[in-house]
Amino acid sequence: MTEQEIIETINAALVEEFELDAADMKPELSIYQDLGLDSLDTVDMVIVLEGAFKFKIREEAEIKQIRTLGDIHKFVQRKLNAEA
Amino acid sequence: MKKIALVTGGSKGIGAAIALSLADAGFDIWLNYRSDFAAAQQVQQQIEKLGSSCCLLPFDVADLEQVEGALKPLLEDDTPFVLVNNAGFARDSILAMMSSDDWNDVMSVHLGGFFNVTHTLLPFMMRKRKGRIVNIVSTSGQIGVAGQTNYSAAKAGLIGATRSLAAEVAKRKILVNAVAPGFIATEMIEELPMEQILPMIPLGRVGTVEEVASMVEFLCSDKSSYITGQVFSVNGGACMP
Repeated sequence: MTEQEIIETINAALVEEFELDAADMKPELSIYQDLGLDSLDTVDMVIVLEGAFKFKIREEAEIKQIRTLGDIHKFVQRKLNAEA
Repeated sequence: MKKIALVTGGSKGIGAAIALSLADAGFDIWLNYRSDFAAAQQVQQQIEKLGSSCCLLPFDVADLEQVEGALKPLLEDDTPFVLVNNAGFARDSILAMMSSDDWNDVMSVHLGGFFNVTHTLLPFMMRKRKGRIVNIVSTSGQIGVAGQTNYSAAKAGLIGATRSLAAEVAKRKILVNAVAPGFIATEMIEELPMEQILPMIPLGRVGTVEEVASMVEFLCSDKSSYITGQVFSVNGGACMP
């Protein structure tokens, strides 16, 4: 999967799960303030990402550091690189 | 398809009565037990007679690896609507003479067990946007009882966890409550001196496991849809907090 494909997969999964506007999916946006997610939504986000990429990330401490959409892109890429 | 209820510590006593009551109310049961397979199998047969299915799940709630090993494969296909955290035991003694094992074991089954099972199940329940969690606590968690500092501390802790979790997951329409039995006719009170205990109970008798189970059944029914974060005493009036 290329970097661009990973980003597109993440964005598509989040757009569907949280009924977001695809045009809003800019990496600098805060998932909390800008996209309107709350701490409970991150549980759904983790399960959706686990489903999309077939990995397990719920126990990762780094999840709690995620603030922006770009943080998610980087986190998933690092995780996939580490598994490759 | 029937809704599923997971009951921990379901092979005997209050847990078995809860499993049967929920089966009678139309739930399929995931019945956890630790070691008594024969007793669990009997409960399973009774549940099947009531027309519900019963999946036996042997694991120690205090052991996260065992909990995840048993539940995660099932959770890939189904999500219980109900979780009853019932598994528990007492190891009474006065604190000055209590071993650290008796302190730690009681904590790890009641509080560790609550965490391990709830933590494994909750993300799936949250995705479903509905669910009921009922924690079985005790009069001992509500008032002081000499000889039970470990059990009291664990049950009072579970009452705190009930309230905070209720606040946390209300947005996901998951209701979390506690049921606090008093003196109930189970093996836990077999050794106690009845002549001293009965005068402490306004209703003048110990309770039955079915009388606890009916409160749990109510909290898992459509009739309790506006109730969360509460503790319900089933104790014949022995404690009126």
